[in-house]
Amino acid sequence: MMTQWILLAEQTSEGGLFDLDATLPLMAIQFLLLATILNILFYKPLGKAIDDRASYVQGQIAQAKKQKEEALALAQRYEQELKEVRKQSQGIISTAQSEAQKIVSDQIQQAQQEVIAERQKASEEIEAERVEALSALEQEVTALSRQILEKVIGLEFAQ
Amino acid sequence: MDLANTLNLLHSVNLAAIEVGEHFYWEIGKYKIHGQVFLVSWFVIGVLLVASIAATRNIQRIPTGFQNFMEYVLDFLRGLAKDQIGEKEYRPWVPFIGTLFLFIFVSNWSGALIPWKLIEIPEGELSAPTVDINTTVAFALLTSLAYFYAGISKKGLGYFADYAQPSPIMVPFRAIEDFTRPLSLSFRLFGNILADELAVGVLVLLVPLIVPLPLMILGLFTSAIQALIFATLAASYIGEAMESHGEEHHD
Repeated sequence: MMTQWILLAEQTSEGGLFDLDATLPLMAIQFLLLATILNILFYKPLGKAIDDRASYVQGQIAQAKKQKEEALALAQRYEQELKEVRKQSQGIISTAQSEAQKIVSDQIQQAQQEVIAERQKASEEIEAERVEALSALEQEVTALSRQILEKVIGLEFAQ
Repeated sequence: MDLANTLNLLHSVNLAAIEVGEHFYWEIGKYKIHGQVFLVSWFVIGVLLVASIAATRNIQRIPTGFQNFMEYVLDFLRGLAKDQIGEKEYRPWVPFIGTLFLFIFVSNWSGALIPWKLIEIPEGELSAPTVDINTTVAFALLTSLAYFYAGISKKGLGYFADYAQPSPIMVPFRAIEDFTRPLSLSFRLFGNILADELAVGVLVLLVPLIVPLPLMILGLFTSAIQALIFATLAASYIGEAMESHGEEHHD
């Protein structure tokens, strides 16, 4: 039956499977119009959106890379500075320590000297007082011995 | 005879009749055109326009929903053109190749998915525009024009000098190719889609339910493949016309 139909289709005066007519150029024009309209409505705006997004992402990646590099450089610089500062503080601490050491030893020395001086003074005073005491004692001894002499041999002889 | 009677009965019920080569003629001046082809092609164009407008109405940097889908489609079309034509030259050709693919694809699938035949028209029956040879020949000729235009605009008349590459023996083959290309393009598409619709039609005629389903699914597959083949071949012809033999080794 199929063959009959197809034969029938071929036999009809107009029509048939391979019936080329004005449909062809009109369809071509219609297609070109569709391509133009779709270009305006679809390909251009969406393509622009895709390209913009791609360049945006690229820009973001580049920016992020730059920022990362900057951050790394900054961190390195800070570390350098930190190292330097640490070194400086170490120096300050050591000088302070040595100064303090010096002060301590100075003061100890001073104190020792003072002590020595005081001791000397005290011993000198003691000596003086002893001399004084001895002289006083001698006078007293003299006086006493004079009195004893007076008592023993009389006042006249004593003078 | 029983079988024939049953078939006749089915035919008289007109549940699913096959009409081949009957057209719904419109007359414009003294020219005749196939109305059923244009009716369905307008539907296809409408679908494409609505989809385009829906996708681009509110374009956002982070695409959602339908914009996402259409961007996927556009990426696919660009990839198709880029693969055949090359990174440098493909951009101006995306609308042509993309529209070829979209129109053929939507036509074929509308023919396979929408029961056009249920809509009564005075003569013939509605079906995919690609079932009509006028449509496929129109597209094939446009493709020919496109690749001649591409070659000549790129290399001037030197394009025809390339026919003698790599040896003058190639000239007749290349010349014949210019005729066989549109012929094979148009008949491949026309034949595949028509054969698919006929096969499904005959099966529906014999067994209206369920049995034609696998063939219909196969038809969907064939339809998609045919659209892809047509667009890919068009792109590859254009790319071949523009590729320069002298600089090939520098790329």
